[in-house]
Amino acid sequence: MLFLCTSVLQAQTKKGDVLIKNGTVITITDGTQENTDVLVRNGKIDRIGKNLKAPNGVEEVDATGKFVMPGIIDAHSHIAGTSINEGTSQVTAEVSMEDVVDPLDVGIYRALAGGVTSIHLMHGSANVIGGQNETLKLRWGSTNPEDLRFEGAPRTIKFALGENPTRGGRSRGIQPQSRMGVEAMLRNTFNDAIKYRDAWNAYRSNKSSRKVAPEYSLRMETMVDILEGEVLVHCHSYRADEIYMLMKVFSDFGIEKLTFQHANEAYKVAPELAEFGASASVFSDWWAYKLEVYYSTAYNAAILTENGVTTSINSDSGELIRHLFHEAAKTQKYGDLSDNEALALITLNPAKQLGIDNRVGSLEKGKDADIAIFDNHPLSIYAVPQMTFVDGVKYFDIENDAADQRIYIDPESTVENVQIFHAEDHDRCMEGANVVNFTDLFNNK
Amino acid sequence: MKILRKTLFRLLFILPLIGFTSNIKAQSDPTGESPATRTYAITNATIVQAPGKLMEEGTIVITDGLITAVGKNVNIPVTAEVIDGTDMFIYPGFIDGMSNTGAERPANPERPDNLFTPDPPNYYAGITPENQVIDQIKVDENSIEAMRKVGFTISHTVPYGRMLPGSGALILLRDADHPDKLILTEGSSLYSQFSGAPGAYPGNTLGIMAKFRNLYKNAELSKSHSELYASNPEGITRPTRDRVSEAFYPVIEKRQSIFYNASNSLEARRAMRLQKELGFNLVLGNLQEGWDLANEIKSTNTKVFMSLELPKEPKNSKEEDKSDEVKRLEERRMEFYKKYVTQYAELQKAGIKFGFSSIDARSSQLKDNLLTIIENGLSEDQALAALTTNSAELLGISKIAGTLDEGKIGNLIVSKGSYFEKKSQIKYVFVDGEKHEYDVKDGSKVKEGDETPVANLEAILGTWNYEFTTPQGTQTGSFIFTNESDILSGTMTSSDGTPDTELQNISFLNGELSFDFSIDAGGQSVDIVVVGVVDGNNYEAEASVAAFNFTFPIQATKDEA
Amino acid sequence: MKKFISILSVLVLLPLFAAAQNDGGIVRADNSKFALTNAKIYTVTNGVIENGTIIINNGIIEAVGADINIPGDAQVIDYSGQEIYPGMIDSGTRLGLSEIGSISEANDFREFGEITPNMQALTAVNPNSVAIPVTRVSGVTSALTMPAGGPLPGTAATISLFGYTPDQMFAGSKGVVMNFPSTAQRGWRRRTPEQIEKAREKAQETINDAFDKAELYAKIKESDDARYYPEMEALAKVVNGEVLLYIEVNSAKDILSALEWIEERGYENVVLTGVAEGWRVADEIAESGLPVITGPVLSTPTRGSDAYDTAYKNPGLMQKAGIKVALRTMDTENSRNLPYNAGFAATYGMGKEEALKAITINAAEIMGVGDQLGSIEVGKKANIFVSTGDPFQTSTKILDVFIDGYKIPMTSRHTELYDEFLNRTPGLNKNAVKVDG
Repeated sequence: MLFLCTSVLQAQTKKGDVLIKNGTVITITDGTQENTDVLVRNGKIDRIGKNLKAPNGVEEVDATGKFVMPGIIDAHSHIAGTSINEGTSQVTAEVSMEDVVDPLDVGIYRALAGGVTSIHLMHGSANVIGGQNETLKLRWGSTNPEDLRFEGAPRTIKFALGENPTRGGRSRGIQPQSRMGVEAMLRNTFNDAIKYRDAWNAYRSNKSSRKVAPEYSLRMETMVDILEGEVLVHCHSYRADEIYMLMKVFSDFGIEKLTFQHANEAYKVAPELAEFGASASVFSDWWAYKLEVYYSTAYNAAILTENGVTTSINSDSGELIRHLFHEAAKTQKYGDLSDNEALALITLNPAKQLGIDNRVGSLEKGKDADIAIFDNHPLSIYAVPQMTFVDGVKYFDIENDAADQRIYIDPESTVENVQIFHAEDHDRCMEGANVVNFTDLFNNK
Repeated sequence: MKILRKTLFRLLFILPLIGFTSNIKAQSDPTGESPATRTYAITNATIVQAPGKLMEEGTIVITDGLITAVGKNVNIPVTAEVIDGTDMFIYPGFIDGMSNTGAERPANPERPDNLFTPDPPNYYAGITPENQVIDQIKVDENSIEAMRKVGFTISHTVPYGRMLPGSGALILLRDADHPDKLILTEGSSLYSQFSGAPGAYPGNTLGIMAKFRNLYKNAELSKSHSELYASNPEGITRPTRDRVSEAFYPVIEKRQSIFYNASNSLEARRAMRLQKELGFNLVLGNLQEGWDLANEIKSTNTKVFMSLELPKEPKNSKEEDKSDEVKRLEERRMEFYKKYVTQYAELQKAGIKFGFSSIDARSSQLKDNLLTIIENGLSEDQALAALTTNSAELLGISKIAGTLDEGKIGNLIVSKGSYFEKKSQIKYVFVDGEKHEYDVKDGSKVKEGDETPVANLEAILGTWNYEFTTPQGTQTGSFIFTNESDILSGTMTSSDGTPDTELQNISFLNGELSFDFSIDAGGQSVDIVVVGVVDGNNYEAEASVAAFNFTFPIQATKDEA
Repeated sequence: MKKFISILSVLVLLPLFAAAQNDGGIVRADNSKFALTNAKIYTVTNGVIENGTIIINNGIIEAVGADINIPGDAQVIDYSGQEIYPGMIDSGTRLGLSEIGSISEANDFREFGEITPNMQALTAVNPNSVAIPVTRVSGVTSALTMPAGGPLPGTAATISLFGYTPDQMFAGSKGVVMNFPSTAQRGWRRRTPEQIEKAREKAQETINDAFDKAELYAKIKESDDARYYPEMEALAKVVNGEVLLYIEVNSAKDILSALEWIEERGYENVVLTGVAEGWRVADEIAESGLPVITGPVLSTPTRGSDAYDTAYKNPGLMQKAGIKVALRTMDTENSRNLPYNAGFAATYGMGKEEALKAITINAAEIMGVGDQLGSIEVGKKANIFVSTGDPFQTSTKILDVFIDGYKIPMTSRHTELYDEFLNRTPGLNKNAVKVDG
């Protein structure tokens, strides 16, 4: 079924060796170990233990008094993409963020400087079934998008419910314009995919040499892959009712893996999420920027965690991604999560949601050496990231941190090009508002 | 130059009357404009037959459109018009690897009523690979003369459009009364770009990449189906006519290459990605950022036409007390400028045989840019090769063009002084054996090219009545442009009583008018960018709503009063 | 005798209080006389009192210190092991003016028109905005709430985050907001330096024109024949120094222009706001003596070529240059993150003590209400909060909040939803099917 050969231009990426000495090692899966060393060989964690010796030629990093944790994983990001939405159609399962990865976005370096090593570059939320996402490792410095791919990560796709896709429908004069229509569109599309699969299966099993192939649809190919569990669904959602609806639809179509993105009202259906086995990737405290997030609580992550739902905290923002460790700490104010629970929200749990927890998300022998070092406990407001490693290669070091990190520079740009940050312009998931309502646009009402 | 233009105009006027053809025999010409002979001999000139192959005091003879002799001791036919080539340098005519030269930009496709944005009609989506560029070619397009006078004689001309505008053709930049007579080869390429449809699928790179794969795969299936049916139709569903798929057949059979307009490095990589997945022959055109791509280009066997467009050289601040930070940033900016201008030499060193393309460049700047590229490491021979032999080879016309050898098309440039000297001027350009003469001015550097900005502005000053369609009905009003000491200002008024809005960032260059304005959408300020082409009193533009990545067409006509 | 009566009244009233605070599940604010004891008190202006007491009476801090006699009629709350701070002041928000961001009908901070300094933010403050309790239970007790829009969008007001009418919320300071002509890029489309300069000149002209008129109007307005001109009336107050002028300005170049403009005009009571690139011209700002309100600290750098942490460092660099700095979130629903903005500023160079001042006393002084807010001092308004520790530290809990002497219910939509849904009833099954036998 797979038409795209996804690793066609896969380059060999750099792998590093390093011995991180004498730090407080927060493993996530095996407690926090004081005065402990982490040995990295060829991009993998080789050993975690005390008094390890650096093999010949392996650089040593003194982490005395410092905190060593797994690299942070952002399960919802829009940095490093040249386009975000193909919002012209309400189903665009065929499009993929892998085609628009932008390795030149200086936001990548800024995320590394916040201890982030992997991101889930997501399609926007303009359509019910949006595009496929791309899981990336922040291998900053390359100009080749292929170098950033998280090789071997499962394919994922963006779905979206609620205000964003229905607003699109209204402005374009097509379905869906309500949450009823969203459900219908989902069911219709999956049923179409089943018909499509049947047609191709019939063609393949036809032994005749004079058979004629059905029409090919990359869109339906992807939908079939979802039905067969090869593509993990990450669904933009806010309200409890729509979250519940999607779980019912997926039950009916036998799709088992499901992560709700944003999911501001997931706390209201936490027992149902737990029973389904769905997970949630939420904001620490964003709310009230639109109607469907008016009835939110910053205790969302804590309620979900207490109810046994695998939960992560994401950024959805080029600003917030720089301090996800601080966002995770808010769950201690709002809901008393333990240090380990809070840090799992930005390491192991997002890794699980992206299907990469066998590779990253904790410090364990054999896992990828994606590591962040902090001067204080990462949940402290006074924590400053010191170094960030991906595959054992150091991509951020606060001691060697030139201000201007741009990879490509437009020779026609002015040297002092100032862009003022406005919290209001700040993406949130409004990047999904890929359509314009003419009534709003051209009337001052 | 004025005289020449006048001549050209007259010529065009009389062409239909006299039925101008390449062989002028026994035809009266009461205007006296047509040449007395189709045989020319240029004597005593420095002839650069091919890059690195130079002959002093040589003679070249052109007869009936072909080069018939090149050498030191050449018999000059009695019918020849003899041109004294003393102090003249003769080069093979330049070949442009990808341009719109000769093509007229068609009106933007009209937005259909009740457009179903997820699945718009092909013409609106910009999926028209079955189109031929010849349908857009106009014999009186200004670009033909503009390119010819800087030395280009053959252009690989591609159609205007969106994602898949159609197939390109090689055209001779000659005078003719009918587009057919410009054509050297048709179907030279299937032209492709990363241009989405305004507000409909595919709207941007995401959709374009997916749609391309989908179209290609279905074209493969359609081809197998058709072949099966052709071999024996019995018991086989009759294939329906599918011109889009059929347009891909020559690509699938590798008889035709896909020319991708890929100006930046990410676009180039995307095109190569499609090539890797689907296996077609790829040519990148208009490449402006290639310095990191040598390995990929080589490993994918991609052919390349580098752009002749260069960024402007950055000007560093003259302030004496500028900060270290500013100095450092200026250095980095210069470092990147250098990457743009030295990449040609670098790619050459890496063993990539590229040609040049002019599609995003202005004809008046081509020579300056070329000289900049040479100053930055590309040798004159290499530059000439990129303009002639490399392009000919990449376009598959080495047998008929690219060098000054007997039997090749009579395309050549006669320059007073070496073409690669800044002050040299082109005296003649021969296309298809026809002579085009240019005024050569003595003295200091001749300022060619752009009309002055002021004269330029005149074309848009005044009131333009605009119109665009929204689901709420048609919106009308006017744009008013004024000129205050060479700075353009503009206002947008609206017929429905919406307050006037000031137009920002107005730019008018080479007929392209762009500006933006903000409107209040329920308390939120929304920026709208309008980009389009001015053609006389007509303005055809696309407005994009940046915040929403959404576009819609706007038309305006200039108020004569 | 007096004392006896008051003791008696307390005895009589105590049970009533209990009832009043929780009638029908509604928790009401409590306006008793309070004695907060055994706490570590960060006064901000007079150091730290290790084991201190604060007496709150009639909205005012009546006493503070280590050895304070506790009035017999005071409600004593033992805060052993806890810390007390002056209520935090967010020096830039849209609190009360914006309820739901994307819905234009729920936003009242932007009025139509270019020159609208007479538009009063205070008028449009919705005292019952859901965001207000969410903010104050995090220890933010006051906020500057600002209009937005054109060059002179309106008049901002400092409000107390408790009260049922705008007047009950008004905290004594108003200021006209001005957006200084900007040369920064907006949106994604690049403007050429010429285009930027042209737009800037035009905006500057508009502003100069308005202030020229205002200066004239200020002279003639007392005359009986003076026309009614509310816009100029509002600006005349700026000209006369009666209200503050908040000048929003961000890029280094614009800040220098603004300093020049202010000097030329000679206005007093001017505050620079935004000041995202203040660190680049910190010495010049310091020399002007003007105070600065900056933030959000948690923002991306202003230039692609800037270091990742420039926004974090900006407040500290300005403070070190000698500028009086206050911080703002420029947020609405998440104004509660003010302590974290201060925490990042503290971490990236400002230090804890100065960062605390930046969200308390500096803010109050800059707004001209330093005699009433911003520190724990006798005679000041009783705006304080009690925490489990360092309020910048993310895990710290805010235990109690007092605003204008009222002990505020520590509930908000966020806590209420938490209480309802942590262990939802019914859980998975509404009516579990009983199996017979």
